Amino acid sequence: MNAPDRYERFVVPEGTKKVSYERDTKIINAASFTIEREEHTIGNIIRMQLHRDENVLFAGYKLPHPLQYKIIVRIHTTSQSSPMQAYNQAINDLDRELDHLKNAFEAEMVKFSRDY
Amino acid sequence: MEGQSYARMPRVKIRELRDDYARFELRDTDASIANALRRVMIAEVPTIAIDLVEIEVNSSVLNDEFIAHRLGLIPLTSDRAMSMRFSRDCDACDGDGQCEFCSVEFHLMAVCRNDETQDVTSSDLISSDHTVVPVDYSESAASIDASDGISGNKKGGITIVKLRKGQEVKLRAIARKGIGKDHAKWSPAATVTFMYEPEIHINEDLMESLTLEEKKEWVESSPTPVFEIDQVTQQVMVVDAEAYTYDDEVIKKAEAMGKPGLVEINAKQDSFIFTVETTGAIKASQLLLNAIEILKQKLDAVRLSEDTVEADDQFGELGAHMRGG
Ligand SMILES: [Zn+2]
Repeated sequence: MNAPDRYERFVVPEGTKKVSYERDTKIINAASFTIEREEHTIGNIIRMQLHRDENVLFAGYKLPHPLQYKIIVRIHTTSQSSPMQAYNQAINDLDRELDHLKNAFEAEMVKFSRDY
Repeated sequence: MEGQSYARMPRVKIRELRDDYARFELRDTDASIANALRRVMIAEVPTIAIDLVEIEVNSSVLNDEFIAHRLGLIPLTSDRAMSMRFSRDCDACDGDGQCEFCSVEFHLMAVCRNDETQDVTSSDLISSDHTVVPVDYSESAASIDASDGISGNKKGGITIVKLRKGQEVKLRAIARKGIGKDHAKWSPAATVTFMYEPEIHINEDLMESLTLEEKKEWVESSPTPVFEIDQVTQQVMVVDAEAYTYDDEVIKKAEAMGKPGLVEINAKQDSFIFTVETTGAIKASQLLLNAIEILKQKLDAVRLSEDTVEADDQFGELGAHMRGG
């Protein structure tokens, strides 16, 4: 009867930003990104992509609580980059990988239907 | 500004492809991508399912809620789902969720007039949109009939309720777009799994120090048929590496036989074998393509926007102010 609506898990409430970030006050080039209404699917691919960036000294994500529908991504970079730059690049690189995967799968489907 | 790209170029090889089933290899990527695709295929690729039921008459043995629940679980052909609107963001019907952009209407009318029990099935549902109809399993059911003689429902539909003489069901149902995360009835996936490709190396020198009896004993210690003994050369060979379930039995057996290192098995960290099976709501190949599209949309939504940058500038200014700048 007083159960929260199921869509609260994935619909960002009005007036709430999807992404926000806060710079670390003590460490230079470190920041925490709060992503609303996302979980392991996004958190883990961003983290693993950040690990491929040589300017990233630390990248991790956490789901603070199963009933708080948000994740926190923490990034620490060298002075050659910044957490925001690394974050943006990770997303661009993942987007490019998925574009490539889509084309590769479509080409393979054509090849498969021809060969078999 | 634009740094170098760290993007990978994954490769795909299809092994088997049918309408509702696909088996393919995914290489040159990592487990995070494989797992993200699996998770999106199960819980975030949209389909259409019955979400609202208005019952006019129900004198069957099943109560109204029971029937409404069963209707919700019927897979509907959902090729339209990707381009449809979610009722909650539909402005054409103002949250009513009953317009053509975000819903499909169904009617069901059934009365039993005979002495014989009557099956009310998904094929009795009348749709307002010919592209959104209950998935027809009659073709696959017919092939099962022919192969092993199991006779299913004659009409091929999914049984909703059975009526005896004089009983009646009459209802109107609204189907909407949704995702598996909201309710499992919207999940297009029956199975989505991936496994790491195993790499098996047999230490031939050590293997040759075993007698034929010992080889047989070792080969049989695997719960799945991974190894075989060549009839002619009496050598142990890998016949099906992918049958290995990472159970470690053959490794333990080798140790127990006093031959540690007889076999080395590693999971390749960048190669995955996917098995995808759908409910029939969309094709298996389309499920993967839609999952890629949804994942791209999700990534796009978490990009830093002008808004986020501005918020930071304010914070930066405030920070500068607090530092006395
Ligand atoms: Zn609407």
